[in-house]
Amino acid sequence: MDTTSPHFAYVLASYVLSGAVLLGLLLWTVVRKRNLDAEARRVLKSGE
Amino acid sequence: MQTFEILANPNFFMRVARAILPWGWAATVITLGAGLYLALFTSPADYQQGETVRIMYVHVPAAWMALFIYVLMAVSSAVALIFRHPLADAAAKAAAPFGAAFCFLSLATGSIWGKPMWGTWWVWDARLTSMFVLMLLYLGYMAVWRAFDDPHRAAGLARVVALVGVINIPIVKFSVDWWNTLHQPASVVKMSGPAIDPAMLWPLLLMALGYTLLFICLHLMAIGNEITARKIRAARLRAVGAH
Repeated sequence: MDTTSPHFAYVLASYVLSGAVLLGLLLWTVVRKRNLDAEARRVLKSGE
Repeated sequence: MQTFEILANPNFFMRVARAILPWGWAATVITLGAGLYLALFTSPADYQQGETVRIMYVHVPAAWMALFIYVLMAVSSAVALIFRHPLADAAAKAAAPFGAAFCFLSLATGSIWGKPMWGTWWVWDARLTSMFVLMLLYLGYMAVWRAFDDPHRAAGLARVVALVGVINIPIVKFSVDWWNTLHQPASVVKMSGPAIDPAMLWPLLLMALGYTLLFICLHLMAIGNEITARKIRAARLRAVGAH
């Protein structure tokens, strides 16, 4: 990969954007799972 | 049919998902790592596009995933409609945000590629426009689920959106053949075989496999989340009924 290529910034932007969105999806799914699991334990325990 | 019933049991599904996920994540990391290495360091620059061709390795798999996930949603919606199985609705609902994200990535990375190669960020050609319609379908599908308090009513309308919208998938696929577009025609999935050099084809296929594995892992987790959310809702409804 030639980082001095005139269009390298476009390549970098594509990979950074893809990485950020996919990492965001992963974090969103994991955080939602933790929140839902905690809520389920609370609700099912208290019979709310 | 009995096998389908067993596999579609939410508790059985959760157990299977828990067993699959560690292996799935390991395979995802290895495949994406290898795909990125080949895409960025070993595959050659294109004689016309130069380094910009490397955008293809994140753009094309994202576009394939956007199409595949919508078909998956339509199939799940059809199963939910025919067999009335709630897990099918959960699978379709859980897949939508991932499909929308891949569709966004396809449009955004395509746009980033378009600026240096076409001289413009966007043109309303048939392929780009039909992908934009796919993005709207994903957003519409997710909006339907949020629009109703009653999940049964939301599920009914969401199934219709998924099934009607699937007509857009062949339009996206064949738009480059049916109309005169700026977007290049198919070069991998075609009857006469791939028209792309193996040095570029393998990184592309590896990245596509990595994206698919990533989606499978995220989708399994998201279906689990949907099942948990439904258990919470059911417990709350039971509690309200008991008071």
